[in-house]
Amino acid sequence: MPDKPSDLVQGTLDMLILKTLALEPMHGYGVSVRIEQISKGVFRLNAGSLFLAIQRLERDGLIDGEWKPTENNRRARYYTLTAKGRKRFDSETREWGRQVAAITRILEAS
Amino acid sequence: MSWLRNVARGLRSLFRKDRVDRELDEELGAYLEMAAAEKMKDGLSRKEALRAVRLEQGTLEGTKEIVHSGGWEFEVDTLWRDLLFAFRLLRKNPGSTAAVVIALALGIGLNTTVFTFVNALLLRPPAGVKAPEQLMEVWIHNPRSSGAEGYLPLTYPDYLYYRDHNRSFGGMLAFDGDPESAIWNKSGEGQVVMGQLVSGSFFSLLGVNAVQGRTISAEDDQAANPQPVVVLGHAFWQQSFGSDPMIVGKALMLNGVNYSIIGVAPAGFAGLLVGIEPDFWAPTTMVEQITRDTGRLNNWHAHWLIAIGRLKPETSVSGAQAEVSVLEHQIELAHPDLKRNLDATVFPETLIPGPYRIYVSAFTTLLMAVFGLVLLIACANVASFLLARATGRTREMAVRSALGAGRGRLVQQMLVESTLLSGLAGLAGLLLAYWTAPLLLALKPASLPISLRIPVDWRVLAFTMVISLICGVAFGLTPALRCAKVQVASNLKDETRPSGYRKSRLRSLLMTSQIAACAVLLVGASLCVRSLRNASSIDPGFNTQHVIAATLDPARLGYSEAQVRGFYEQLSQHVLALPGVTAASFVNHLPLGPAREQTAVTDVMSPAPNTNDAVPIDLMRVAPGYFRTMGIPLLRGHDFAFGGEERSGVTIINEALAKRLWKNQDPLGRRISFHEEKDGTEIIGVVETGKYRTLGENPIAVAYLPQLPPGRTLVVRTSGDSAALLDMVRREIHSVDPHIAATDLETMQQYMSLPLFPARTTGLLLGLSGFLALALTSIGLFGVISYIVSQRTHEIGVRIALGAQCSDVLRLVVRHGLLLTAMGLVIGLGIAFGAAQLLSSILYGIRPTDPATFVGVALLLCAVVLLACYIPARRAIAVDPLVALRYE
Repeated sequence: MPDKPSDLVQGTLDMLILKTLALEPMHGYGVSVRIEQISKGVFRLNAGSLFLAIQRLERDGLIDGEWKPTENNRRARYYTLTAKGRKRFDSETREWGRQVAAITRILEAS
Repeated sequence: MSWLRNVARGLRSLFRKDRVDRELDEELGAYLEMAAAEKMKDGLSRKEALRAVRLEQGTLEGTKEIVHSGGWEFEVDTLWRDLLFAFRLLRKNPGSTAAVVIALALGIGLNTTVFTFVNALLLRPPAGVKAPEQLMEVWIHNPRSSGAEGYLPLTYPDYLYYRDHNRSFGGMLAFDGDPESAIWNKSGEGQVVMGQLVSGSFFSLLGVNAVQGRTISAEDDQAANPQPVVVLGHAFWQQSFGSDPMIVGKALMLNGVNYSIIGVAPAGFAGLLVGIEPDFWAPTTMVEQITRDTGRLNNWHAHWLIAIGRLKPETSVSGAQAEVSVLEHQIELAHPDLKRNLDATVFPETLIPGPYRIYVSAFTTLLMAVFGLVLLIACANVASFLLARATGRTREMAVRSALGAGRGRLVQQMLVESTLLSGLAGLAGLLLAYWTAPLLLALKPASLPISLRIPVDWRVLAFTMVISLICGVAFGLTPALRCAKVQVASNLKDETRPSGYRKSRLRSLLMTSQIAACAVLLVGASLCVRSLRNASSIDPGFNTQHVIAATLDPARLGYSEAQVRGFYEQLSQHVLALPGVTAASFVNHLPLGPAREQTAVTDVMSPAPNTNDAVPIDLMRVAPGYFRTMGIPLLRGHDFAFGGEERSGVTIINEALAKRLWKNQDPLGRRISFHEEKDGTEIIGVVETGKYRTLGENPIAVAYLPQLPPGRTLVVRTSGDSAALLDMVRREIHSVDPHIAATDLETMQQYMSLPLFPARTTGLLLGLSGFLALALTSIGLFGVISYIVSQRTHEIGVRIALGAQCSDVLRLVVRHGLLLTAMGLVIGLGIAFGAAQLLSSILYGIRPTDPATFVGVALLLCAVVLLACYIPARRAIAVDPLVALRYE
């Protein structure tokens, strides 16, 4: 494991949540675990910022929430990506790819 | 659409807060549970796992707060909570809250009242008119003269030329600028009604449709074949015809001519002039029949029509302006004999005709400035009140700040409190305006035939809201910023010793400006009130007691000269026979009214009559007995003889004219020449000089001639009550000729309210503002000084304990107060000195720089400050030094 969890680049949390939900509908905890797992512990989410982002995405109509029972017999909201959310995710991914490529080129210029 | 969803969600969490809260609780609970379950897989006990999760994620409440703060409704929620808190706070001190709200409400209310008038006169578009913003007035303008005198309305030929040759307007209309009063022959009896003559395009161009029948059309308004048709005003139709549904087609006899009623105007439509609600509209081409003034339609010198064009969408105002100038020039080229050499100009149409707008706005601006100062004083009061309270609340602020409230939150809360105060005051002020505006309207003389609607519409509401908000922020911001700048540590520890100097500097500034503003208003108030007293005691040159006047015009009914003479002779006999009547006579029009006839005279005997020697005079035409009736002393010679009406060649002059022509020599028997006549007119009497145009005028030379036109004013003197005489005279007029009615019938004292109107209005309004200013300032000063002294109780206690005398303490307090007063007075009286010049045109018998007024105001304010210092100082001295010291 890397030594310390990093801070997320500003504005990328939304994209990461959308990506996670694009794989399969999931509840809040699931999203945070998935992001931590995939990033190999580089990004660790705080519940406050996670649910703040989820609330924002839901209000913008990018994701939809639904109450469902969990494995250990509690209720949790499961979120799915809406069509609009998928479109946004696609465009954000493309934009991100362009930016990363550009930044890399700049950094590698000699 | 996502913003809609955002709003919907926000509203849901605002109004169903419990439910939303519970859901968030549950979701976060599930999250924590799952996180704990994960940890328990690593072998931790449940309790340990939960603890670990909490360490990682922070408290549940904290997390909730973070999530909540993301939505816009969070801001609304805090604002709402601040508002509730502010409400509780105000309710806790009902006395001081009421005092603050009342003071502010007076300031805001008075300004709103003035604004309702600005709105009614200048901002409100004419009611019931389609797209009023496209309408432009056209006026002929003399670029060489200033003010309203430089503007002339159009003549009928002018109007036709403009109407037929312009390209800027989609259409033009014209109407009679001076509404015509006509005698309506109501089944054999005369009743005076008000009408407006309008062009055939008037109703159609304004987009006004009749509610019954039709409106006046272009065919009705042909100069070659004018149609005697009228459209009734809605109110007139309701009141005089009982809303008769079969009115169309019936006849209305006006000034002896039968008119056919073709329609009824819609309710609320009253034409385009403020204050006038015509009973009927008739075609402009009927003017000669209505006024009995033949040739008006071809007269290039009779300027009587206000013309209005509807701007085409593609034309700009400046384009229209350029075009009317060209059209006026064309008229002058085609008619060089007019020698007009004038220009034309356009104004956007409002209810006040363009050239007169400047006077209304000047007057309302003056009032706004005056009442703005009153509001300023009220605001200063509130600001020092809040400042004092803010100082008392430093501890509370420190606690809030320690609990994590940011500076922004603290400022927000203080501002919410002050805007709540000003909002309440604004509401009260609106009510105040609602009640006072009609009172202000009641100041207008009853003889002015004006019915003014002063609606409280959205413009008034918006004005009040904005002014309240500005006040709230203006007086709330400084205390708020001061409050938010708390030193947590020192304030949470016990002592909050006032770190005096900086704070009291702000307070001193407030006091100084208050005194300055008060001084300005007091100077204005006392000047205007004293001017009003002077004006009321000005001798108009005639005796206003026990005299009545009635305006008559039998020629309007088409009477011949002999009929007119017969009517007046009979009327004169009837009136003289009334009990109590001691004299009666006629005059062509009363002095101090709007009508006047001006000319110039020369001395026939002067060697070379050259036009520069001509003395400009006002000419009045009177019947025998006029001077006796009006109580004008005849200084020399004798009155006109009865029955000698036709005898020309004699005149009576006033003393001013006699002095101008012959200094101290006897004018009797000398001759003066009107209009360069050879033989001249013999002077048979000299009367005392009076006031003829305005009460404030310098002596004007006047000559009286015995020839009267058919339109006259009857004046009657009685030994009894003049008001009781009115009814008797009305009955006599009716019994002599039932077709005739007096257009104005009033006692001379009622008549005099017209020339006294400006002085009375300004005297009352400025007097009121001065009184309010003094009251508010006194309360404010007393409050602030009491507060300052109470803060220094400890210091005073020490001083007394160390052996200071009472007088030393008194001097300490008073010196500070007087220093501020002196500063305020210097500033205030300086401003007043400049501002009073604005009043000079409406002041009677007092100069705007009257030294007694300035000294008096200064002394009065000093006395107020001394009193405001003395009472708190006495109280401070009375405190036992031991108590004061222990107070620490």
